[in-house]
Amino acid sequence: MTMKTFPPLGEISDAMVIETSRAAGEPEWLTEQRAEAWRFFASAEPPYWRRTDLSKFKPEQVIAAADTAATSLYQEEDLADQGVAFTTLAQALRSHEALIRRYLGAAIEPTRHKFLALNAALWQDGVFLYVPKNVSVELPLTAVFSMPIPGGAIMPRNLIILDDGASVTFVEEYHSIAASDQAFAAPVTEIFLGNDSTLRFVAVQTWGEDVYHIGAQKARVGRGAALEWAAVNLGARVQHIEAETALEGDGSRVEWVAATFAADHQNLLTAPWLRHIGAKTEGHMDFKTVVKDQSYTTFDGMIKIEHQSRATVSRLEEHALHLSPKARSDSIPGLMIDTNDVAKAGHASTSGEVDEEQLFYMRSRGIPRDEAIHLIVMGFFEPVLDRIPNDALRQRIADMIEAKI
Amino acid sequence: MNSDLVIKDLRVSVEDKEILKGVNLTVKAGTIHAIMGPNGSGKSTLAYTLMGHPGYTVTGGEVWYQGRNILELEPDERSKLGLFLAFQYPVAIPGVTVANFLRAAMNAHRAEEGKDPKETAIPMAQFRKQLREQMAALGIDESFARRYLNEGFSGGEKKRIEILQMAMLEPKMAIMDETDSGLDIDALKIVAQGVNTLYARHPEMGVLVITHYQRLLNYIKPHFVSVLMDGRIVREGGPELALELEEKGYDFLREEVASA
Ligand SMILES: Nc1ncnc2c1ncn2[C@@H]1O[C@H](COP(=O)(O)OP(=O)(O)OP(=O)(O)O)[C@@H](O)[C@H]1O
Ligand SMILES: [Mg+2]
Repeated sequence: MTMKTFPPLGEISDAMVIETSRAAGEPEWLTEQRAEAWRFFASAEPPYWRRTDLSKFKPEQVIAAADTAATSLYQEEDLADQGVAFTTLAQALRSHEALIRRYLGAAIEPTRHKFLALNAALWQDGVFLYVPKNVSVELPLTAVFSMPIPGGAIMPRNLIILDDGASVTFVEEYHSIAASDQAFAAPVTEIFLGNDSTLRFVAVQTWGEDVYHIGAQKARVGRGAALEWAAVNLGARVQHIEAETALEGDGSRVEWVAATFAADHQNLLTAPWLRHIGAKTEGHMDFKTVVKDQSYTTFDGMIKIEHQSRATVSRLEEHALHLSPKARSDSIPGLMIDTNDVAKAGHASTSGEVDEEQLFYMRSRGIPRDEAIHLIVMGFFEPVLDRIPNDALRQRIADMIEAKI
Repeated sequence: MNSDLVIKDLRVSVEDKEILKGVNLTVKAGTIHAIMGPNGSGKSTLAYTLMGHPGYTVTGGEVWYQGRNILELEPDERSKLGLFLAFQYPVAIPGVTVANFLRAAMNAHRAEEGKDPKETAIPMAQFRKQLREQMAALGIDESFARRYLNEGFSGGEKKRIEILQMAMLEPKMAIMDETDSGLDIDALKIVAQGVNTLYARHPEMGVLVITHYQRLLNYIKPHFVSVLMDGRIVREGGPELALELEEKGYDFLREEVASA
């Protein structure tokens, strides 16, 4: 396969970024955005993250795709006559430029750190999903991102826009067969939920063992809208995902679940932020982590109940299961309350080895120890697996978890 | 091979405290044997030890069953040998449904060395049918099959699910630890009937019933009654012993033991 690539990041210039954008026929505002982001990337220091080990990561050697090469879209019904757009972001520039211009970068500030700027400067892959007012899409829409060349880099940019009253299920999946070369993914997903819309969002990360994944996701949730967010993190050598749900509209809500399973030397971090801004917003977070071997995970979560919010309901649960004594899971939950009108705010957290009483109970029924541990781990993740809308994907994830135990 | 459960001079400690101080007891195959005794006398300790709970340290004695000293076996091996314990306090397993748990347990029993587990597994249709029938017999609503095992179950529901597991696994030697506690009178009858049906189907089966109350023994009629006090069997007899205890309480036995 021949594929257009940029030279290594260390050799790219402003002019090259501008030229590539113009050659692709992109609108001038986007060319400017890219150039500006590139200048930020080129001059900014790499972020210092205490819990994400980038010591072996060499960004200047990264070779990024210069063309949409890693995005595959799956849909089971034709949605065009309902006005639904589900296409690559690059393609959508031709049909939905005004929407893209309005929303691109409106959730995630590209200058928050170097790698977000890199995404804004160089993105080629990515999906654009727009669901018009009051349109309900039954079957899930799926975007799969894979690594087009071993040792390469992709920076997908995803834009998900639901108009008022719209409803859809969207799955984004990062997937590769194990490649031994170091590869890099820096995806950014921005989600906008109009009033009273409903999104079931599933994000699955199953990269091969030498991928560095530095991603960001943010959903801005409008009045009365509902977000169900399920994240599965199984792959990559290093993962650093900053995710945010901003409950901006009154009465908006989120059910947020996540399953992370780290083994070997994996270093997987998730930093979910839940911000309550509107009145009567409701958030439930349930994050599950299993660690094994010498892996290391971090849950760096924050619930922020802002000044103008009222009658807020917020609940955070996070649980970690240790399958070996050398594995480590850090949990740094934070709660910032800036209002005096909170209806309910709670936090529960556990961390420990497999419960001996559960094991004994299961073994007393004839189930051998190993299998009992399998069942306990699968059961631990069940609330997350349960939310995966597509049977084949759920089965594949279950198989991957089984294989990892 | 001997299908009696023979407990010889069993001594058990928990956290360096001796709880069982030399228990001698035989549960004969084909009999129902009740154990009664005051709170804290060691009944659950005995039940857990027979099943192999890792928190109980055996400091002496032997337990023979099917030609083996089962104290040397893992809990799952004991289960496969035919032992079953209906727990006084069943444990919740989040995310694992009653049906999946039972299927895993049954398949573990059917597994054979050197054979593909897929080959020995119970066919799905057969499993479903059997489960439906047993649940109906025990008055358990079908929706329980899809619920997570013991999660949010009421005390009585947990006990019924214990008996459901017993009915599905068809053990040769069943130990029931206060299965009657937490049951209302209707549930008690249904559970007792479940046990009696199983026993009628497998008359060679042994049943060790731990209880505080004569009430259960009206429905599950024991052949033998033993009294455990302060870690020792202090009296053995027939069903009349249970009636006597009901009438007089444990104090008369305490006095007897003290003066002996
Ligand atoms: N895990 C444990 N840790 C500490 N002490 C224990 C433990 N298990 C049992 N014991 C003690 O051992 C003694 C016997 O307990 P056991 O549960 O066997 O009694 P029991 O006869 O079943 O009582 P009950 O009728 O109340 O169920 C009690 O004093 C109890 O406190
Ligand atoms: Mg007890």
